[in-house]
Amino acid sequence: MFDRRVRPQGTRNMASTFRQSGRSVRPLSKERQRFLLLACAATLFFTACSRPADSSRNITVEHEVSPEPARTGPAVITVRLADPAAGVITGARATLEADMSDPGMAPVFAEAREIKPGRYQAHLRFEMAGDWVILLHVTLPGGQKLERQFDVRDVRPN
Amino acid sequence: MRVPGLGRLFRWRHVRPLLQAPLLIVSVVMILHGLFGPTLAPKNLATTLSWIHFRGVLVLVLLCAGNFFCLACPFMLVRQAARRIFKPRFDWPRPLRNKWLSVALFVLILFTYELFDLWSSPWWTAWLILAYFITVLVVDGFFKHASFCKFVCPIGQFNFVASTLSPFEVKVRDQEVCTKCHTLDCIRGRREPVSDLVTIRGCELALFQPRKVGNMDCTFCMDCVHACPHDNVGILSRLPGTELLTDPIRSGIGYFSRRKDLAALVIVFTFGALLNAFGMVSPVYAVERWLGAMLDMRHEAPVLGVIFTFFLIVEPVLLLGLAAWFTRAWAGNQRGLLPLMVRYTYSLVPMGFGMWLAHYGFHFLTGLYTVIPVTQSALASLGWPVLGEPRWSLTGLPAHVVLVVEIGFLALGLAGSLAVSYSLAEEDAPRKPMPAFIPWATVSLILWAASMWLMFQPMEMRATMMSG
Repeated sequence: MFDRRVRPQGTRNMASTFRQSGRSVRPLSKERQRFLLLACAATLFFTACSRPADSSRNITVEHEVSPEPARTGPAVITVRLADPAAGVITGARATLEADMSDPGMAPVFAEAREIKPGRYQAHLRFEMAGDWVILLHVTLPGGQKLERQFDVRDVRPN
Repeated sequence: MRVPGLGRLFRWRHVRPLLQAPLLIVSVVMILHGLFGPTLAPKNLATTLSWIHFRGVLVLVLLCAGNFFCLACPFMLVRQAARRIFKPRFDWPRPLRNKWLSVALFVLILFTYELFDLWSSPWWTAWLILAYFITVLVVDGFFKHASFCKFVCPIGQFNFVASTLSPFEVKVRDQEVCTKCHTLDCIRGRREPVSDLVTIRGCELALFQPRKVGNMDCTFCMDCVHACPHDNVGILSRLPGTELLTDPIRSGIGYFSRRKDLAALVIVFTFGALLNAFGMVSPVYAVERWLGAMLDMRHEAPVLGVIFTFFLIVEPVLLLGLAAWFTRAWAGNQRGLLPLMVRYTYSLVPMGFGMWLAHYGFHFLTGLYTVIPVTQSALASLGWPVLGEPRWSLTGLPAHVVLVVEIGFLALGLAGSLAVSYSLAEEDAPRKPMPAFIPWATVSLILWAASMWLMFQPMEMRATMMSG
């Protein structure tokens, strides 16, 4: 519950408090006014240029890696795409990109196939033991694009 | 220096800034991309250029030519510009006029490389480069001459040790000319006759050309070349490693055999080469897990500390101590164990360099073309896709081809170490060098066998060592 007793005072009340304490409220100088105006304009400009809220953020992406724990060699990545409002997402196009955590290695690309409604599966190959990063690029049926990243840590040597 | 075109270029006074400027631009690009570019190491110029290309090119240039990286060092260009504003006032402190600080920094870099997985972090890599620039400015902002290069820079120390095996050296052409020279411009700098102001700097690393032996401490800065009024200093060819075969007094250095700090640097250079490679193969994780469980440690730093202590202190002391003991026992050498260890430690330089070449050469050659898609991607992300879409399929030479090259580097390293230790043994016991040679040849063989074993281990790269 909101406690009225601790509600902050309004500007008018604050001004009267200052007057009561013997301090006058000085009007802002022209330079300060200009600065404030400029700051407001800049804030408006940058917020206006920012992207609108990303509706794809609500989409849940779950993944499984097989074999578990992952080993070097062939691996199967299964991804489940779901929208909390509309249920599973079917008909999306998903591609996977697997990168090692160190430079000097080429990424591995794989196209995911929809094996069940909302479940997409890709086959790729972990060439080296260690930590891998998977980048998931999804194009939703409406053309909206979505990117997610997840780690496959500790891929063991065969 | 007599090569048409090239000789004229190196004699030109502004050759150094000319070579430094492109590297400075690349460094700035690496810092910016490291801080603001993709966080994935294989897609970032900071990590790709630092850990794949720079290291690879560095060791190959050292092997095929000389210490040309120090010549083109971008940090020195910034220092030079800063010195136009801030003139250093102090001399480097006397107790620090040795390699101990740089040995400690060299170990620190190897340690942080493993602890923070620098290869996998563009952000940390960018900060490392920035930290380097800041340290150069601070050290050389306060202290005169090339204090940073001679006493601080870990990359420089690596280059100094490795360049003892380079086929080129900055040296005098004709000693007779130096004997008649009274101005000593190569060390004092060329001065204006009336004002005595230095117009061309002499050697900032205190290497007096007529008495300079080899490449140790030489940054190839060309100051002596430009200062010599007789055109008697140049970049001359030589047999690689000759400076390790004997132990004369060297200008600015003294005797190798009396420099414990230099020997320590060589130990870190050699054993650090194996340790650095060990950090990227599968068995290291098993060792870490075992050590962590045995010592009940959950943090990586103390476990790494134990591994570093073993590989950089315990193992060298044991191996070199035993070899020195056998040399005394078999060859009847009257020197103490420590002086013997110091003297023969330099014979390990070729083996250590062979391992660095094999390791960095592997990454460089297998990832040779990866800089192309990373650059394409960086330009495309700036909205300027002039190089086209990133071709991520571009990598480098196949690993099985590179393996042959690695084995070749290790074989060269072993041959070099055997040659140096035999030459030193011959100097100690001209009639019966074998008893003094065998213990040190055994050390080189052990290191070679360990290096070969490492080369055949499966590579494993993790962002955190103690996971799993």
